Amino acid sequence: MYICNRNYNMTLMQKRTTRHKTAPLLALMLGLVLVCPTQRMKAQEHKMSFDIFSGLNFGFRDISYDRQYDLYIALTPGFKWHFGDHWQVAGQMIVDIVDQFDNPYYNPYYNRQRNIFHFRMLDISKELRLGMLYAKASAGFFTESRYGVDLKLFLPLTSWFALEAQGGLTGLFSTSGGWGFSPMQRFAGTIGGDIYLSRSNTQLRGVIGSYLYRDLGFEVEAIRHFRHSSVSLYANWNNKDDFDGGFRVVVALPPYHRKQRMVNVRPAATFNMPYSIMMHEWTNRMYHTDPEENMRDGWFSRDLLEWGSHTMQPDFIITPKE
Amino acid sequence: MKRHIIYSIALMLGILPLTGRAQQYTGISGLIHVPSAEMHHEGDANIGIHYLNKEMLPDIGFTYNNEKYNTYDYYLSITPYSWIELSYICTKRMDLVNGEPKYRRKDRNASIKIRPLKEGKYWPAVAIGCNDVGSSVASLITSSNNNVQLYFQNYYAAATKHFDLGGNILGVTLAYRYYTRDYNDKWNGLVGGITFRPSFFPQARAIAEWTGNEFQLGIDALLFQHVFIQASLKDFKYPNVGLSFQMNLLGKRYKY
Repeated sequence: MYICNRNYNMTLMQKRTTRHKTAPLLALMLGLVLVCPTQRMKAQEHKMSFDIFSGLNFGFRDISYDRQYDLYIALTPGFKWHFGDHWQVAGQMIVDIVDQFDNPYYNPYYNRQRNIFHFRMLDISKELRLGMLYAKASAGFFTESRYGVDLKLFLPLTSWFALEAQGGLTGLFSTSGGWGFSPMQRFAGTIGGDIYLSRSNTQLRGVIGSYLYRDLGFEVEAIRHFRHSSVSLYANWNNKDDFDGGFRVVVALPPYHRKQRMVNVRPAATFNMPYSIMMHEWTNRMYHTDPEENMRDGWFSRDLLEWGSHTMQPDFIITPKE
Repeated sequence: MKRHIIYSIALMLGILPLTGRAQQYTGISGLIHVPSAEMHHEGDANIGIHYLNKEMLPDIGFTYNNEKYNTYDYYLSITPYSWIELSYICTKRMDLVNGEPKYRRKDRNASIKIRPLKEGKYWPAVAIGCNDVGSSVASLITSSNNNVQLYFQNYYAAATKHFDLGGNILGVTLAYRYYTRDYNDKWNGLVGGITFRPSFFPQARAIAEWTGNEFQLGIDALLFQHVFIQASLKDFKYPNVGLSFQMNLLGKRYKY
């Protein structure tokens, strides 16, 4: 099995990177302009809180002839600051513990001085409802070493059928050897639909899109949601690498009963394990705008969007602590 | 001979505290080597490891210096619905590394079983399935599958009926199996077996089966609701043993 780690690839990507120091500020400003006028602050339905969390990235791969496995273990500390009305600032970094992926066979920069701390993301997001339409706007630094703005839309037409779309204008950033940015010129987006069968908690999802690395393709996925976990089978195609497929597993991590305080220190919400047959790393990919984004919870908060897996019993019973 | 007697005694002793419902070396429900129409419970997930005697393996693909070797596999299986089971299996293969034979390679494959007919009062459950579907999937999704092997690939249809004998459960399975590789054709054709689940310890199961080429005896048991073990003797002399952790993702609890 292989859970890809693409941090070390940032060094390779840096060669293609030009430096635009003001670009991230522009991205943040553009994002705020995009989301601020849409709604004025209402009552604090989504209360203020500050969550500090960490999960574990665990990867192993079996592609080296004279090694049993290559291991990759890293901590993923992050934070989420909810400051009311579905506004959120989130950030995350990666701390390498064991990184055998970075070996001389596959990385020419093996002997360089490596930094075990990697910046992963830092962005501001706003979720809102406009009639039947749900939207989430984000701006800042995303995963996949992208920065820019992103907009996600979700339109539930019935209790079992919904349309979804995601689009973003981003550039590449690199933190290897100082900050570097490419122009924020690349558009990537997907559009598709979701069917949710509530009786069996099964979700069928299909999207087509122009993906992050300029490939055109589609993906279909069948997800079975269980009590505290979800398992999916997926298949995708793109015009660069052809077909791929595999499975994904998401497990909500205990404890499932939690106290909600102003500041919360907790484990990561979920453990995610993707498996790919063909191991295409650079196709059918989009960035994430939330450090805990996963197929089980989707893009939106449970208290805003009651559709799909959000109609199931929640994973976490959270009681406010006065 | 002494070794065979020891194995047999160990097996008989093991029957008392032990048994389940798995063709455990693949993670899919069944007997030992023979598939059945039994299914795991909806939401069941298994992660396990199984020691495989060389006699359980194909004659090609698991040889070193022209001799077959014992190995092991590990798997992850799930039953997303009561009518379908899926499993992903890795079987370790030996290769020469710095002059030493080591388990450095592996064969990856997937299995699927579908049960179109559930067991009724007067009719058996019927299931169809395929082991090592990976190459089939690979041929569907890519044109570059020249290196994909089919060591374990077989298709089957199985029927299983259970009978209540005073609280003891007797299961009878009959299956037709077809291996796609010639070197496995000894296991082709009609195969089957019986299982016995005693009333005093229904978590355990004794198994006798005909694989198409030899007889096999075994026992398996689900202990502490999560630990599943299976031990068997192929042709009454070649041992295989496995251990898996089983849990129900829907949060349901089953005794077996």
